[in-house]
Amino acid sequence: MPAAAIEVRSLRKRFRIYHQRNQTLKQTLVHRGRGMYEEFWAVRDVTFRVEPGSTLGIIGANGSGKSTLLKCVAGILIPDAGSVKVRGRLAALLEIGSGFHPEYSGRENIFLNGALLGLPRRYIRSVFDEIVAFSELDRFIDNPVKTYSSGQYMRLGFSIAVHLDPDVLLIDEVLAVGDQSFQQRCLDRIDQLKAQGRTIVFVSHGLGAVKDLCDTALWMDHGDALALGPTERVVGEYVAAVNAHEAVRLEQEMAARPVLPGGRAGVGITEIALVGRDGPTALFETGDPFELRIAYSAPGPLRGARFYVSVVREDGVVALSVPTDDSRLRDRVLPPRGTVRLSIPALPLLEGLFRLTIGIAEIGTGEWYTLLDRIAPFRVHTRDREERGVALLGQRWSLPEPVDSWLSA
Amino acid sequence: MATKEFLAVPSAAGPARVPPSGAFARNRELLAELVRRDVRARYRGSALGVLWTLLNPILFMTVYTVVFSVLLGATYPGGVPAAAYILTGLLVWNFFSQAVSFATSSVLSNSGLVRKVAFPWVLLTVSAVTAALVNYLISLVLLVPIFIIFKLPLSLALVMLPVLVVIPYVLALGVGLLLAAGNVYFRDLEHLVQVGLLVWLYLTPIVYPPNLVAAHDHGLGGHIFSFFFRFNPMTWVVRAMEDVITRGLWPLHWHGLVYAGVAAVTLLGCGVVVFHRARRRFAEEV
Repeated sequence: MPAAAIEVRSLRKRFRIYHQRNQTLKQTLVHRGRGMYEEFWAVRDVTFRVEPGSTLGIIGANGSGKSTLLKCVAGILIPDAGSVKVRGRLAALLEIGSGFHPEYSGRENIFLNGALLGLPRRYIRSVFDEIVAFSELDRFIDNPVKTYSSGQYMRLGFSIAVHLDPDVLLIDEVLAVGDQSFQQRCLDRIDQLKAQGRTIVFVSHGLGAVKDLCDTALWMDHGDALALGPTERVVGEYVAAVNAHEAVRLEQEMAARPVLPGGRAGVGITEIALVGRDGPTALFETGDPFELRIAYSAPGPLRGARFYVSVVREDGVVALSVPTDDSRLRDRVLPPRGTVRLSIPALPLLEGLFRLTIGIAEIGTGEWYTLLDRIAPFRVHTRDREERGVALLGQRWSLPEPVDSWLSA
Repeated sequence: MATKEFLAVPSAAGPARVPPSGAFARNRELLAELVRRDVRARYRGSALGVLWTLLNPILFMTVYTVVFSVLLGATYPGGVPAAAYILTGLLVWNFFSQAVSFATSSVLSNSGLVRKVAFPWVLLTVSAVTAALVNYLISLVLLVPIFIIFKLPLSLALVMLPVLVVIPYVLALGVGLLLAAGNVYFRDLEHLVQVGLLVWLYLTPIVYPPNLVAAHDHGLGGHIFSFFFRFNPMTWVVRAMEDVITRGLWPLHWHGLVYAGVAAVTLLGCGVVVFHRARRRFAEEV
């Protein structure tokens, strides 16, 4: 087997959480010693190997140990057990402009950063123009970086890291910043580095970027490596686990706010259920069948009542607010107990967390019998589609008739 | 469920364009860059810039000369003018105390770098001490007018100067490494160091002549002071410096100078060991 670019064996890293941190002399004298702390394992027994020229994505929730692992590989944190071996020069982009000196100009920071990565000044001079061109900062390169916008900061940081010829490049969540066109150029540049046989480790919440860039993925959870293997498989497992976790959470939220009968005049909602393709669920995919079932109860036959449903996104946007049809219900008498269904054959909602506001009102007076505000949470995923927004609008594009390319040339 | 097997991914190795260089060469380049940064950071944002490095010792020399020579009537070894004696000592002391106080905060004040970039962090402390050395070498220009005004003798003993620069450098680096590492864990150290340096200044014959200590070496207080005075390696560095610069003599107290050198190297050894051990948790603690 050829030598690995990165080889991590049984790596463990422990952190101290201070309850009472004695950092001043007085505290130390009063409390004797360095204070109370608890230890916890941020990374527990992780082993992996990255071959030269391949790209590894590390995924996982916040606090799962991804960044700690990356810092151990970078040599910033020293593991408590296990070993890390990196072959070749390493560049780590752990934070926007890490290692920048705010008082320094962009130009000076390029040289300082290069030196921190262990590069000769003469080499940095030879790639200086490329770095500046890539970052599009030529007009600002002699200004102190403290005057830069966060976008400029990150452009310079990224340009430096990718031009300083690293054998191993570690990237932590930086692509999220910057405008679309710069992000695209970053991705192109990473592809180029991959093609040159450089090794890349990429930590991200953005599963899309991991899927696009990485050959293999490592899924971290509470300090443990849960899965390691081809990106498609690991990301799939991760998404399934996240969804299962969220479904449980949403169900718990639903259960935590029990729907109680007995609104005004004894008219109330007894149960709410969301039904998807395969039965009751809180997770939907755009285009899935969607059905809301509202079970109500009343002391006697229910006359002149109207049902209201609003679909409210997490940020307060009301995607839909719909009452039952007034004219059809005005004189209709409903049984004392029953279930009202609202169905949507193909859910047009796009990615987001939604809740329902459900009420029953009296026709005529317009007074609420009962009104349940933002209950029944459900998550809509939009996968394998490029539309973003609140909902699909039945949109269609039409393009001009195609022409043969030689005619337009 | 933890996957323990190694994974193997096909590789396409490509050539690196940067010529390989040894760790020493890389660290030297980085040190040069850090020193450049530290020196410039000091002068940036101050109107008089480098002038302060020169003005500061002159102002202090004036104050101390008035207090110790004019008011208290101190006389200095070999009948050397008070101003020449005090300035010479002050230049050495300024270097040493600057180096120690810059070094103390060197790791903590670069927490951004330490948390995010892997490189030999010890270079931050080396750089702080070296930046103080650069200031010192600039400030030595002040000796030229002193030599001219007071008609000090130029002698072959001046070849001792490099040794007299290296010893306090090594000493400051040793003390600085200990304090830099300690400061990460106990933030009060920075303030204590300022007080400590003031005490240390008065334990060194800079503003007063060394024979003053011998003259008062009686009683418990006198003995204690005298002990620390002799124990202090800087005493011997400053005395040798005074001999060489103001009197044109070879250092009169060879044994003291050798002791200072041994003390400096010993402290450097301790500093390196302690720093190396403390370094393991720097990125978490800064």
